[in-house]
Amino acid sequence: MTTQHSSIDLLQGTLDLLILRTLQGDPMHGWAISDRIQQISQDVLQVGQGSLYPALHRLEHRGWIRAEWGVSELGRRARFYRLTPAGRRQLDVETADWEKMSGAIARVLKLA
Amino acid sequence: MTARDLWLRVRALVFHGRVERELHEELDFHVEMQTRRHIAAGVDATEARRLAHTQFGSTALVEDRVRDARGIGFFETLLQDVRYAVRSFRRAPAFALTVVGTIALGLGLNAGVFTIFNAYVLTPFAVRDPYSLYEFTWDTRGGRFHRFTWPEFEQLRRDNAVFSDVYAERHQLVTRIDGHTAYTLLVTGNYFRMLGVDAALGRTLEPSDTAAPGREAVAVLSYAFWQRQFGSDPAVVGRTILIQGHPCEVVGVARPGFDGLSQTPPHDIWVPVTIDPLLEDGPSLFASNPPSRLGVVGRLKPGVSLRAARAALVVWAQHATEQLADQDKAATARLESRATSVPLSPMVMLALSPIAVAFALVLLIACANVANMMLARGLARQREIGIRLTLGAGRRRLVRQLLTESVLLALPAAAAGFAVSRLAVTGAVSAMLATMPSEFVEFIRVAPLPPDWRVLAFMIVAALGTGIVFGLAPALQTTRANVVQMARGDFGSDFGPWRLRRALVVAQITASVLLLITAAVLLRSAQRFANVDPGLRTRDVISLDIREPFRAKVLEALAASPVVLAIASASTIPLDASSPGVSVALPGRSDVFRTRYRFVSPGYFDVFEVAIRRGRNFTLEEARAGAAVAIVSETAAQQWWPDRDAIGQSLRIVPDRLVRDATARIGRHATVQVIGVALDTAADLGQTGPFHSAIHLPIDPTASDTGLVVRVYGEAEAARRSLDRSLAVAAPGAVQEIHKLQEFVAGRLYPFRAAYWVSGAVGALALLLTISGVYGVLSYLVAQRAKEIGIRIALGANASAVVSLVLGQSLRLAAIGLPIGVLLALGAARIFGWRVMMLQAFDPLAYVVGTLVVVIACVVASSFPALRAARLDPMTSLRAD
Repeated sequence: MTTQHSSIDLLQGTLDLLILRTLQGDPMHGWAISDRIQQISQDVLQVGQGSLYPALHRLEHRGWIRAEWGVSELGRRARFYRLTPAGRRQLDVETADWEKMSGAIARVLKLA
Repeated sequence: MTARDLWLRVRALVFHGRVERELHEELDFHVEMQTRRHIAAGVDATEARRLAHTQFGSTALVEDRVRDARGIGFFETLLQDVRYAVRSFRRAPAFALTVVGTIALGLGLNAGVFTIFNAYVLTPFAVRDPYSLYEFTWDTRGGRFHRFTWPEFEQLRRDNAVFSDVYAERHQLVTRIDGHTAYTLLVTGNYFRMLGVDAALGRTLEPSDTAAPGREAVAVLSYAFWQRQFGSDPAVVGRTILIQGHPCEVVGVARPGFDGLSQTPPHDIWVPVTIDPLLEDGPSLFASNPPSRLGVVGRLKPGVSLRAARAALVVWAQHATEQLADQDKAATARLESRATSVPLSPMVMLALSPIAVAFALVLLIACANVANMMLARGLARQREIGIRLTLGAGRRRLVRQLLTESVLLALPAAAAGFAVSRLAVTGAVSAMLATMPSEFVEFIRVAPLPPDWRVLAFMIVAALGTGIVFGLAPALQTTRANVVQMARGDFGSDFGPWRLRRALVVAQITASVLLLITAAVLLRSAQRFANVDPGLRTRDVISLDIREPFRAKVLEALAASPVVLAIASASTIPLDASSPGVSVALPGRSDVFRTRYRFVSPGYFDVFEVAIRRGRNFTLEEARAGAAVAIVSETAAQQWWPDRDAIGQSLRIVPDRLVRDATARIGRHATVQVIGVALDTAADLGQTGPFHSAIHLPIDPTASDTGLVVRVYGEAEAARRSLDRSLAVAAPGAVQEIHKLQEFVAGRLYPFRAAYWVSGAVGALALLLTISGVYGVLSYLVAQRAKEIGIRIALGANASAVVSLVLGQSLRLAAIGLPIGVLLALGAARIFGWRVMMLQAFDPLAYVVGTLVVVIACVVASSFPALRAARLDPMTSLRAD
């Protein structure tokens, strides 16, 4: 947590996008997902567990990610999530949407 | 919802425990990882764990949010509600039992009625594609209902655009086989093939069986008839049975479950239509001038709509009848579904609606009672519900829970109601058969009344519906409490679903009044009807319907029989069939009178002991010659010649053009002379009321197409049996029907008796439920106003003042319910009264009695709470709270 710029709570749709993006590589468990997001965003984006796990289960119900039990680095059973083909498609759609929107917002901020 | 989603939901529901454990484990793993991270950063183990937990927040909360995200809350909530409800029922078993019992009674009776409705109106016949079968007829311009001739049928079969196949049937014959009634249908050879019905034994009819008239007669038996009459004997194929005295070889038995396209009655035997010439004395179907006596059923071609078919058939019928006289030309085409026994038409629904309404009212009253009990219980639970509301429970959530409770009560009620309905149906059928005049039982075939999926679906829908009806209002009412007030701990004062409860009781009173007035009207009508003197001697008279070729033999045997005292012939049997009407014109006067006529042989007046007041009876010569003489009834004489002696007057008979068959005989009488005046007889009871104006015309005792009536010696039933036996020897196959006249009287009376028993029972049930409803509401009232009543007593009110306070409440409810009920009864009488003759729908006494019974019931029901109020101890009730 930095003092200069406070961490940002994630909007629901944004969290979904980040989870999907994070899972583009290897399957991960919940803790790793939140850790990865935090790391890459250099601690700007904080994923609260109160929203992470509901989001994971919601995405699983949507069929975008699939959960499986696997063995973690601790040697303990953990729930790993991986992207499904439907999730991959959804990620493309959401990424495109996000870029369109952030571009639009950036333009407004610059020119308005 | 994707398949994946559905699977996850089902999994969460079925493996509830496992899914929960897994979720727990997943979150636990997270905390564990976080703890490791802290330890790796140098924090000591205990502190690391504490920190991880703090960061994570409430595991339970996260789990809750995950569950919400998974969206399985609905089932879980349901399960929770169910568990909660079951617990609360276990605490109050009497309440649960009363609710279940009350609803079971109401549901069961309704399901019973539905079972019968289902069997006759909804269940299709077990044939191939029943819903494409339609009977085709038309109305002529003269308003007559057309039946087909053989050439017309052949033509329709050959060229029409709408039916893929057509068969013809001749209206069923009532045959006696070994003394038992059998319903025989004459059909064309394609009947079985078209309906897709195979033989269980031997073969069914083939088109070759009806290729030409006069082929040797064969017969196919229904499976049920084969079982009943021949004890399932496989050797029946090849045996010969007598149909109307004509030998027919049994060639097969149809497959089980097929009784023809009729439940009223089901058919027992099918024979080829080509044996028609054997059965008819007049011109047969295949004569050069063929009579119209065929019904025609066709199977609509796939893709042909009913409207298109009707349009095409109107054209067809108009084309087919264009050569005929104007009044015989086709006006409209009728297509009536033959998929079920009774087609589901608006007329049928209207005719059945009073029954449906009466039973539905009972169910509604039961619901009202239960709703009242739920309200009372709601009051008791107000504290609990109030606390939950104050703690932030959603009202929607609470209503849902209360509704779950009522549906949970309704489902066992449905199960119990199912048992009630089976009992009611079998009970009603056996009661009907037991109370019906014995000779009719032979003719009655009750359709099988199995509880099929439609009945079950009805039960479930009705149960859920009632659950919501009796649960919704109380649930809304109970949860409408004022949170602010309850936060202060005040749970009682403002909680008054008083208006709702009063409305429920008023509705109950209204329904009871309506039902009881109906019962009283029917009872009085039945009594009035039973007391009508038919003016005929009936107790030892027997009527016979015989086959024409045997008439001489039968008459001979009857004349020789020791039990027969007198014999006569009549064109219609009094009390059995109503005699036809005719117009009569008096010479020299312009007005025309309607009257009924009957051709009778001279013996008629002896057999029925109808006194000829003035003038004389017909002589045998007049009868044989069919002389132009008449005996008129007293009323007719007074009506037509009020100031003159009727004897010697003449009158001209103007036969109705439409009554074709009777025209032959009545047409021979143009102007007749009155030779006698006979006592009035109420010959046509039931259908048209006592119809006194009548004329009798002479007929030969041996004339064809007449019924025989004999007066017998001794006890009528014994005489009937001995006659039946001796005639079976003297002229086998001759007797089609043989009845005691008394049975016709009983038969006419029977529907009234049945109707008032049913409406009386339904009304009594409604009254009982209403009494308990009134009792409950007033008990509640007394409990609620105990403090106020206590104050009144303390201030010196005496017992009678308190009693009248409570009674006044109940009478005030009655004062609203009674007039509404009376008005509804009057309305129902207006709508349905005209349908049944002899029913005096506006019978004041019946209205007074029905109303009084309900008033008394209200007073009785409220007297117990009233007395309890009067005995209140003011000190106790004031100190409470």
